[in-house]
Amino acid sequence: MYVYDMKQQRSMQEPTFLILTALAAGPQHGYGIITDAERISGGVTRLQTGTLYMALDRLRSARLVEPDREEVADGRLRRYYRLTDQGAALLAAETERRRASAAVAAQRLRARLAEGTA
Amino acid sequence: MSAGGTGQAAGQGGDMPATDPAGAAVLERRYLRLLRCYPPSHREFHREEMLGVLLAAARPGQRTPGLGQAVNLAACGLVIRVRRIPGWLAADAGQDALAVVSLIAPAVVVILLPLELGALYAAFSARLPFWQLLPVVPAPGQWAAAAAAAPIAWLAVVLMGLAGHRGAAAAIAAVSLTIAWLVMLTLSVQQRLLPPGGPLQFLGSAGDVPVVLASLAACSLALSPGPRRGLAVVGWRQACLMIAGLSAGFGFPSIVQLVHPSAPGGDLAFRLLGVLAIALAVAVTRVRGPAGRRATGLVAAGLLPSLVLAIPVSSVGLAYVLVILVVAVLVWPVAIVSWLGRVRRAGLTPRGELRGLTSHLRGTGGGTAGPDRLLELERDRARTRWPH
Repeated sequence: MYVYDMKQQRSMQEPTFLILTALAAGPQHGYGIITDAERISGGVTRLQTGTLYMALDRLRSARLVEPDREEVADGRLRRYYRLTDQGAALLAAETERRRASAAVAAQRLRARLAEGTA
Repeated sequence: MSAGGTGQAAGQGGDMPATDPAGAAVLERRYLRLLRCYPPSHREFHREEMLGVLLAAARPGQRTPGLGQAVNLAACGLVIRVRRIPGWLAADAGQDALAVVSLIAPAVVVILLPLELGALYAAFSARLPFWQLLPVVPAPGQWAAAAAAAPIAWLAVVLMGLAGHRGAAAAIAAVSLTIAWLVMLTLSVQQRLLPPGGPLQFLGSAGDVPVVLASLAACSLALSPGPRRGLAVVGWRQACLMIAGLSAGFGFPSIVQLVHPSAPGGDLAFRLLGVLAIALAVAVTRVRGPAGRRATGLVAAGLLPSLVLAIPVSSVGLAYVLVILVVAVLVWPVAIVSWLGRVRRAGLTPRGELRGLTSHLRGTGGGTAGPDRLLELERDRARTRWPH
């Protein structure tokens, strides 16, 4: 099967980052990921179901996440996903990248504030 | 509700509409209909859980999917379908469909070429006296030779393919296609047989039905198990019916021009009638089996570029831009599939190849870029981007 390699991406898309972050806490099912992602993003991003499963499909192909277990709730199958080691490594790299950019932004803002008050 | 960042899995949303079971059933049915946008394999794996999530996110008493939700589902389904095309072409079902294409496309070319050449000649001799044709056609002898050589070459492609010499058939197809392109290029540079337009005109003739079909035939011969496999998939009778139906549909404008030389064979109306004829032929022959239907669809899509060309746009530019777009869109799947085929035949994996390529481009040498190496790369990049 044709696999879209996640590692080729320069910076991670927001839904991907949120999903991987949600799964970093432990295995979750689809609805759990959506609510968790909303909370992680401070209520800014509510993942649509289509977007979530498109991302999961791609992440699964790239072996960044994998199905953990299946449960039946209310007569319906519920599948839990977990982060793979590969996925965790990619999330770590992305986190580092975001931290670095945020640090620069914070530093410049501090400098700007200092100039303004001086 | 979901747990905090404690490492626990979040719970199921508690706002499931439990009060209106009939409404929930209606909503479920509508969501199921929307999920048809997804490829069957994806649906089979994810349908239940997606339904669960969709219903859990529904408002109490909700009976219709929200517009945003519906658009998102349809769009994502289509994206996943498009993303899977190259993989599908490389998999068994796609290979079977391509094998059927490699069986019928060359045969349709063999039938269409004399038809189109005859119609062209009939149209020219109806409008111009014969002596005026002479400067247009380099020399009657050469013209006749060229006109006869192309169908003979494609007949050889068909026969070679049926005899099981797929490689030879693919080679002849590629060579005659290249010659056809060179001839078209020369003619459009000379601007004699064709109206002024130079390279743009060349693109125009490249969108002609026989040329598109010939390209399709050459690609399918190169990338599939070949016509014999195609024959095993659909059988003689089906194959003959498909070839006859498609030839009739594609050749419709030419047939009309042969009978009435002054008829405007290139008109959009005639092309559309051709589409109708193809649809009719497909309906009449009742192509059975998914491989046969997909192959017919692929070959019938060969009419698209000439349909675009035939659109009567006052500014010629737009039509050619559209043709260029169509060609550009057609080129990429073929390129990707052929690359995947090469990688696969060499016993490698596409992922490994991509990784090696990017490592090479980054100047970090080949080999595997494991998670650790990747982490370093990301860190390096972060540092170089933000030096302070």
